[in-house]
Amino acid sequence: MGQQIETALRQSIQRIVLVLVHFLPGILAFLLAVVLFALVGWLCAALLGRLLTAVGFDRRLAERPGAGAPALLADWSPANSPTLLATRAVFWLCLLVGVVVGISAFDASYSADTQYSALLLPYVAHITGAVLILIAGTLVARFLARSVLIGAVNAQLHYARFLSLGIKWLVLVLTTAMALDHLQIGGSIVSVAFGILFGGIVLTLSLAIGLGSRDLVSRSIERSFDFNKTDGKTDAPAPRPTEVTTMVEPDSAARSEPVASLRHF
Amino acid sequence: MPPVDPIAAIPEPEPPPSVAEDATGSISARAPATLLVALPVLAPDALQSTLTHLAAAFPDESLLVATPDSTPDAARQPLPNLRLLPYAAEGQPARGEAPWVLTAEDYAATAALVAANPALQCILLLGETAPALGPALLRSLADCIRSPHGLRTPPGAQAIDLAVPRLQLGPGEGLVNAALLYPFTRALFAANIRFPLPANAALSPRMAQRLALAAERQLALRQPRALLWPVADAAIAGYAVRELDAPGLLPPVPHENDFNALFAAILGSLFADIDVRAGYWQRARNPIGPATLPTPSPLNADPQANAELDSKIAGAVGSEIAPMIESFRLANDNLQELWALVLPPQSRLALKRLAALPAATFDMPHSVWARIAYDFALAYHLRTLNRGHLLGAMVPLYLAWAASHLRASAAEPTLSAAHIAATAAAFEQERPYLVSRWRWPDRFNP
Repeated sequence: MGQQIETALRQSIQRIVLVLVHFLPGILAFLLAVVLFALVGWLCAALLGRLLTAVGFDRRLAERPGAGAPALLADWSPANSPTLLATRAVFWLCLLVGVVVGISAFDASYSADTQYSALLLPYVAHITGAVLILIAGTLVARFLARSVLIGAVNAQLHYARFLSLGIKWLVLVLTTAMALDHLQIGGSIVSVAFGILFGGIVLTLSLAIGLGSRDLVSRSIERSFDFNKTDGKTDAPAPRPTEVTTMVEPDSAARSEPVASLRHF
Repeated sequence: MPPVDPIAAIPEPEPPPSVAEDATGSISARAPATLLVALPVLAPDALQSTLTHLAAAFPDESLLVATPDSTPDAARQPLPNLRLLPYAAEGQPARGEAPWVLTAEDYAATAALVAANPALQCILLLGETAPALGPALLRSLADCIRSPHGLRTPPGAQAIDLAVPRLQLGPGEGLVNAALLYPFTRALFAANIRFPLPANAALSPRMAQRLALAAERQLALRQPRALLWPVADAAIAGYAVRELDAPGLLPPVPHENDFNALFAAILGSLFADIDVRAGYWQRARNPIGPATLPTPSPLNADPQANAELDSKIAGAVGSEIAPMIESFRLANDNLQELWALVLPPQSRLALKRLAALPAATFDMPHSVWARIAYDFALAYHLRTLNRGHLLGAMVPLYLAWAASHLRASAAEPTLSAAHIAATAAAFEQERPYLVSRWRWPDRFNP
């Protein structure tokens, strides 16, 4: 009995060691490829940086009259330096090539009869895709949340923060559902849960805005009713502080009376 | 301030004296024109009025008047000393419908004519408000460029290359200009020009050519309506700029109705210009310094007079200032997360204190406003935040300044100019703060 257990354990350990022996060279090859290409990228970036600095690439680009693309390039470059942009692009390109080569080496180090490679590599791709979806979703959520927050504050909506948070969580929930779907986790449960959650958030926002703005809407209707009843002889609503004076006929040189007493411009 | 019809305020111009004509009825052979007037697309009545003013302003000399091709022939009634000509050949930039201030398209179109007429000494680049410019102002603008010191020009005197009208506005007018455009231009470019974004200007030929280069860059980016900053350009080139009083002339009115979009467009253009010219304004130069300011009248011993003053301020606070302060307080509650990315803790603390003040004593200190404006200019340069978000987040802060300004000048409108001058002086005093933060942003980052 004891001998049988010992034999079984020994065989298990042998199998684990065997798997490790097959697995470790692949990992090593992957890391080696990434490190090697990172070094190459760093070297290429440094050489390119020195070369572009020597020829005054940034200055020449800035001095080119009437050049649209170079100006745009400089505008989008880190620290307004197209040289820095070029060197960083070269470095990250080399690193990306290193990762691709490393994955290929990792795949090649497996024997053909193992199923790990066939299962693992596509899933790694799925995980990468899901991570990218999450990153993009987070960025979009933050951008939209800020846009809504600033727009709502400048429109003097007192529930600006609530609106902003609502938009942010809507996008984040949508992104998470997409990422889970991409990872093939949960199947239809995720879709159904997402539908319920998304619908719930929209309904909550609608109710909140509707109930919160009830007074505003009723006042607006009352005002329009009074306006019609008195044939337009009613006090005009007070202008917002950011109201801009306008002309009746923009094309004509004749200037109309300003609609507000303030002139910001 | 009640609106004044600028044309009605100016006496009717006398008819121009007759110009010697030859037997064929045309004006006799005259010297090449030295003055070019560049007009935008104007309505027929407005065009005719402008041409009449020009003829009256320059009765004894011939003018070149550039009008867009779209001007109807009926409006091209010949006046003795005016020669109308189209803008440029096909493919060249041409002026279209007048924007509310001069844009890249206007400068580029005019430069083409300057190149074709080497005898020119002065260019009057007029915008939408051209019909409101009376003969006296037109004459003064042109003379400022051609003979800035009169007939007796002292030897070595510097020529004027840019002349712009100086509008006389009420306390509630031109607030963005007073809060940001004028203080930035004065502090960073040492140019005490009250309206650095002109709707009408007089240029020397070399100034026109210089502005055309900047305009071409914008046209290459397909942005013909981009704003240019001629005062900053002149300062960098070492050209002299002068402002001429234009009493009764109203400020141009933007066609755009969206305040936030306009604010972002103008301020974005200003910050981009400051970013491009950082190498210039970081160098030390003599500040203009505080001007002679009207002092506030001392408190009246009569309690009834003081009560009247208080009620005057309270009325202003209730009608115009209160919504601005409310907007600022709302932003103070909601935008702290964004302001924290841009403003250092001291500025945010000052804003919190400001938000807690009642409307009757609401007053943003000049130095706080100057530092806030500089911090936003730096954040625009560093892209700390999406630029649209950044400019949007600045709107409530501007409203806080505007509320302070209106409150300060509610009791006595003459204090408006003093408040604007004090703001500009604070920008000058705080310039080293901007230079330090610009050079070492990490050291000062909030």
